[in-house]
Amino acid sequence: MTAYLTRRLSRVALVGGAAVAAMMLSACGNGLASGGGEQSSDKGPIVLGMLTPLSGSSSAIGPYMKNGAQLAVDEINGKGGVDGRKLELKVEDEACDAKSATAGANKLVTAGVKISVGGYCSGATLPTLPIFEKADVPMLIPAANSNELVKQHKKNVFLINGTGAQQSDAAFTFMKKVGATKVALMDDNTSYSKDIADTTAKLLTGSPALAGRESVTAGESDYSANVTAILKGQPDFIYWTGYYQEGGLIIRQLRQAGYTGKVMVADGSVDQKLVDIAGSEAAEGVFATMTQTPETIQGADKWIADYKSKFGAAPGPYSTQAYDAVRVAAEAVKQAGSTDGSAVIKALEGIDGFQLFSGPLKFTPDHTLSSGGFQILTVEKGKIVLKDTLQ
Amino acid sequence: MTQLLWNGLFVGSFYALVALGYTMVYGIIRLLNFAHGDLYMLGAFVGFGVLSVAGGLATGLGFVALLIVLIIAMLVTGTAGLLLERIAYRPLRGAPRLSVLITAVGASFAIEYGMRLVAGPNPEVYPVRLAGDSVNVLGARITIQQASLILIAVLLMAGLQWLVMGTGTGRAMRAISQDPTAALYMGINVDAVIARTFFIGSALAGAAGVMAGGYYGKIDFLMGFIIGLKAFTAAVIGGIGNIKGAMLGGLALGLLESIGTAWIGGQWRDVFAFSFLIIFLTLRPTGILGERVTERV
Repeated sequence: MTAYLTRRLSRVALVGGAAVAAMMLSACGNGLASGGGEQSSDKGPIVLGMLTPLSGSSSAIGPYMKNGAQLAVDEINGKGGVDGRKLELKVEDEACDAKSATAGANKLVTAGVKISVGGYCSGATLPTLPIFEKADVPMLIPAANSNELVKQHKKNVFLINGTGAQQSDAAFTFMKKVGATKVALMDDNTSYSKDIADTTAKLLTGSPALAGRESVTAGESDYSANVTAILKGQPDFIYWTGYYQEGGLIIRQLRQAGYTGKVMVADGSVDQKLVDIAGSEAAEGVFATMTQTPETIQGADKWIADYKSKFGAAPGPYSTQAYDAVRVAAEAVKQAGSTDGSAVIKALEGIDGFQLFSGPLKFTPDHTLSSGGFQILTVEKGKIVLKDTLQ
Repeated sequence: MTQLLWNGLFVGSFYALVALGYTMVYGIIRLLNFAHGDLYMLGAFVGFGVLSVAGGLATGLGFVALLIVLIIAMLVTGTAGLLLERIAYRPLRGAPRLSVLITAVGASFAIEYGMRLVAGPNPEVYPVRLAGDSVNVLGARITIQQASLILIAVLLMAGLQWLVMGTGTGRAMRAISQDPTAALYMGINVDAVIARTFFIGSALAGAAGVMAGGYYGKIDFLMGFIIGLKAFTAAVIGGIGNIKGAMLGGLALGLLESIGTAWIGGQWRDVFAFSFLIIFLTLRPTGILGERVTERV
């Protein structure tokens, strides 16, 4: 039996290794072939590419982003397009997973995409940056917001969402506001989640103080060990920076373990399913740091109605950001007068005061929004509602 | 400390239930059934489906409804295990092990993404949730529901132990695991016994799936992946092919994780737990209870 087992395991490794090698080869192949897609010239439609999770753990977000972007594309085309050219949206699955995202990015580049308007999970978006950079494709990232993306200092990368650091600032402001004294942080070890936890931890030096950190493995059901560990520090405020699936379970298990203090979650956890998973009793009163959603933006009623009549479903998180990303892309192409990568980048850097849902747009030298626009939501009677705009 | 032990035992009993199927299948046909974790997922979804159809009736009955659903889900996943064996593995019985192994990985993907087609990619929430007041026992918070789930797990394992050690089918299973050809010569219907093994192992995984759905509440089509990996680890630690070993390995892994999290932090937990897998594979590949078998030529 010994021999069987070891032989078998080494073979598993071998198969895995071969598969990875094959994937890398095919990825390179795509990269080389990318030159072939360029001859779409200056006549046909301007193709915008979007990577968004259509499968996997975050697949609920994909349609929200896709429809938001499609709405902007249709509106702009309805008004005659950009410089007489129509826009066209191509969507690929990112699956919140680096492998799918790089494959998708290569596919988009091969399809002759001029500007990328996608990117949800930071961990999956990160490896696509060099692919788009090599193909001279500017990226307007509507959702992914890890500081890791900013730290790459890629010329072609622009963030339409508030960054992790801005989110941490908002979280910290609110912690002080509600008088928290001992704050514990929990993350799920992904680039996005760890980033917010790290930047928040740096702020928690005086009062409120850091009362412990814990990283969990995403995709499990039982987090009781993590809960027990985090409660050892006796926190009165716990900030979960991961996604809603684990968030819901952790909130429930925290309450089951007898924790009565405050809980806050980051924007990746803002989803009605968070409340369903935690159970409305456990989720009641949970706070969240979140950029504007259609529901919390004043005067967005008409926009929501348009969206609903077009897609037969309500908009959700990142619908507005995806919508804005397309509009910004169109504006930049108009100002640049061409779809040439470096000309568009220059135009993007020059944009000042273009009206977005989150306010007038002006990119910082780091290509991030000058203000994150984060606000605090809370769960009230099982629904996620606006609590505090932090203005 | 008692809380840590309790946490570990609770999650370990889930690992043990799933590990049993792994170890039974390995014991009898030397196949690592990588689709086993997905049968756990299938069980959770069958339970969810039945509960949703039953609607208000089930919510009123609470725990009893879950027990009925548990049995239905066990029958369905057991049958799914039978089909899996018949369609994917039996035609490859004589094939090189690598082919069967790859088939198992393929079967795993087929079940996962098949379920995604049926139920959609979004997580679902169980309509009946097991939550109750906790009792303080020696400093650990224990809920009645947790205790009853452990009891169910123990009963299922005891039942299995009796089946394997005390019945004719069990004897046939043990015979096949020792030498399939000789067992065939002795008049044992090898195909039928292997099919039964798959049925039992899959049913146990399905039971664990329903229990996890009812207790934790959230299910999704990828939920079987990690627990499959954990159950495999548990089976190896306990001694793969050995039924008592799987139970012991499951509990041991649960405790290792729980204590590892407390000692060195959550981000190192899997490193801690899986390094035990490596240590066992290097120093004692037969696991805690596995016997050293001399291979005869």
